[in-house]
Amino acid sequence: MCLRDQRDCSCQARIVAKAGRVRVTFVIDEARLNAEAAGEDVDWRAATEAELRVGFYQGDEACLQEVFRRSAPLIYTIAYRALGSSTDSEEITQEVFVSAWRARGNYQAEKGSLSGWLIGIARHRIVDRQRARGRDLRLVQAVTTQTDVQAQPEALSTLIDRIVLTEEIGRLPHPRGTILQLAFWEGRSYPQIAEQLDLPLGTVKSHARRALLHLRTRLAEVTS
Amino acid sequence: MTHLDPDRLADRALGNDDPLTAAEEKHLDSCAECRDELAQLSRITELSRRPEQLAQVPADTIWRSIQSQLASAAPAPARTEVAAEPAPSPPAASEPPRRTPRPRSWLLAAAAAVVGLIIGVGVTTVAIRDRVEVTSSIALAALPGQAGHGTAELVNDQGRPELRVQIDAPLTPDRYREVWLINTDGQRMYTLGVLPDDGRASYPLPPELAGQLQGFTIVDVSIEPYDGNPAHSRESQVRGTLPT
Repeated sequence: MCLRDQRDCSCQARIVAKAGRVRVTFVIDEARLNAEAAGEDVDWRAATEAELRVGFYQGDEACLQEVFRRSAPLIYTIAYRALGSSTDSEEITQEVFVSAWRARGNYQAEKGSLSGWLIGIARHRIVDRQRARGRDLRLVQAVTTQTDVQAQPEALSTLIDRIVLTEEIGRLPHPRGTILQLAFWEGRSYPQIAEQLDLPLGTVKSHARRALLHLRTRLAEVTS
Repeated sequence: MTHLDPDRLADRALGNDDPLTAAEEKHLDSCAECRDELAQLSRITELSRRPEQLAQVPADTIWRSIQSQLASAAPAPARTEVAAEPAPSPPAASEPPRRTPRPRSWLLAAAAAVVGLIIGVGVTTVAIRDRVEVTSSIALAALPGQAGHGTAELVNDQGRPELRVQIDAPLTPDRYREVWLINTDGQRMYTLGVLPDDGRASYPLPPELAGQLQGFTIVDVSIEPYDGNPAHSRESQVRGTLPT
């Protein structure tokens, strides 16, 4: 089965039953395919994002746990920074994964990444709560202006982008991640970074450039 | 001229001291696509300079609640197409399709039980269930032109007053539902929150109403469009009135 339901697609997600567990193989990784064929168990912790998507779509609960492990900090942080309440953020995080799991049949892989889908669900829940809060407040204060409510979605999307970017930068491998952290978070110049990391200036700049283009791609996948 | 090399745009967004050539600048002036690309890269550069560190997530607690919620709910129907796929050779048989008919929601049974319990709406009943005191329980009925039914219970959950709503009513595509407490004066209302698609939720009462409902006794479930307008849509699906 092709995940995108394209006949001529070369991906071959396959599932095999073993000890009651759904197992998934994606041919993008030959080594993994061979391991699968040899009957080894899937270790979702080592799974690629594409594999997780397939596993999630097919309904392996162990896969949900791994998706949760990877994405819960992101979802929780977005809710927490947007709402400032740990109770609300716990509830939203829980709701996002439960409803994503229940609606997994609707998840269209080609429409974006799994974390993008989860963020989309979280965004709705956050807006619902912000809206409810705003409304309670207005009813109590008899204030009818709606400008605050309408201003929120844009602020929320900026917040989400910043959190996603922070996480992506944190995930970049060394030295690319270190270079970007020094440049963006600590405001160092490229010559300073080159000296500190003992790398040629051209290499530092090239890493920064590549990293920026990577961030752009990731952000588009997650928030489109 | 072809579009600018992404590397060049990235350099520019990063403020690298390698200025664009005159030809590149000229292209940028005339090409909306490249300008848009540059704007996006510049925005990412700007946002990246303001990191938002990840919060400490109580992952174990949340994961446990997810598990218990999933355990209490029906398994989603599995996709059946996968059965037709050939299995890789060495391991044994392919998994048979797990075609689980979606079990009838427990909601119906629960709603029926509760409705049976509270024949004679308006009579205050007190029941002890899991240390939750049900203060009153009412049926929610469909408004003209709508379908569905449900219940609303005012409960005291270890000292916290809550309204529990369970409805069995059709969903409308591209709409969500919201639960309201409307004053009998018809002028004022509180929103309690969005009703999840499964039609059941508990809402803590607004603190002002915790002691006494003060006329906010009409439980109303509305159908709301995603239009950014926080006001009641004036389209109610089911409704009932709590006893005073």
